[in-house]
Amino acid sequence: MRISVRFLALGSIACCVISTSIGKPTEVTAQTERTLAGEWIVRSSPIDGKMASPKGITLGFPERDMVFEQQGDLRTGVVLREDVGQNVKPLGVWRVMGDDFSTTFQLWCPDTNGPCGSIVMRGTFVRDDRISGTMTAFFDQEDTSTPTGFDTWTFSFVGNRVGGSQ
Amino acid sequence: MIRSIHPRKLLASLLIAIAVGFLLEPSVLAAAKLEGQWTLAITIPDAPNSATTLTLTLNMDVSPRDGSLHGRVTMTDQAGRTVSGAWRQVGKSVSIAFELPCPGDVPCASVILLGKVKGGGFVIKKGTVIVMWDTANNKNPALFDTSNGSFRGDRLQ
Repeated sequence: MRISVRFLALGSIACCVISTSIGKPTEVTAQTERTLAGEWIVRSSPIDGKMASPKGITLGFPERDMVFEQQGDLRTGVVLREDVGQNVKPLGVWRVMGDDFSTTFQLWCPDTNGPCGSIVMRGTFVRDDRISGTMTAFFDQEDTSTPTGFDTWTFSFVGNRVGGSQ
Repeated sequence: MIRSIHPRKLLASLLIAIAVGFLLEPSVLAAAKLEGQWTLAITIPDAPNSATTLTLTLNMDVSPRDGSLHGRVTMTDQAGRTVSGAWRQVGKSVSIAFELPCPGDVPCASVILLGKVKGGGFVIKKGTVIVMWDTANNKNPALFDTSNGSFRGDRLQ
């Protein structure tokens, strides 16, 4: 009788442990590493109605098709601008820190007499397939009113991973 | 007997000599290109809003643009960490953008280098550095802390 009671108690404990384990994801799966690798459609919009930089330069707010790749430690990105031209492929780089990420791109400036610049994106993964944050354009044009001394314009973005791309 | 050379003949001779020099040494024409291997000394603050600076020594391998406006680079720091970057060039002016190779739990940053390839394509002197840190700052137009720095580049190959 004593033995059967012990078995019953052990069995109950085991059942409790197993059911608890099955019901919740383990900590390891909950902390899967985020990655930008894949294809994203990114839409940008102005912050506080600022449609251009203080010096009057704007990139507009088109939809961007961005592709990120990782080969070992090398994390690269490209913006597909086939709407503008087959060979128009602005290049960039990226890194991920927990749920946050950073990317940096060069602007595509075929008019060598016009202003050019670089874009830095700072964002957060809302989900594995959704990102949001801000883009900051540093134009190669002097602006003594900014801390860097360069014309600076910031706007916001949201991005959605193209189905299943990674 | 000393014969004087006519100034027009002298000018013509000089122009011919310069033209022949260019023909014999094609690398002179291509000297302003960034592609190749460089060592960079980048001096920036060691943290956001810090007055203390540090100098990073990076080896930069610049791939050709292959007819594009942009090209790729790789940067390797003294700890052997390698990151990728992107570059563009108009005339002597170059811009190189990359993410700092950060060791982990210190504030990291994005970096933009702006400079001019000089010295026959072998040096970038007194280049400007824009640093955008990961720390948010609503008072900065970039919405994140920024810093400035300087850099120098010397061609290895």
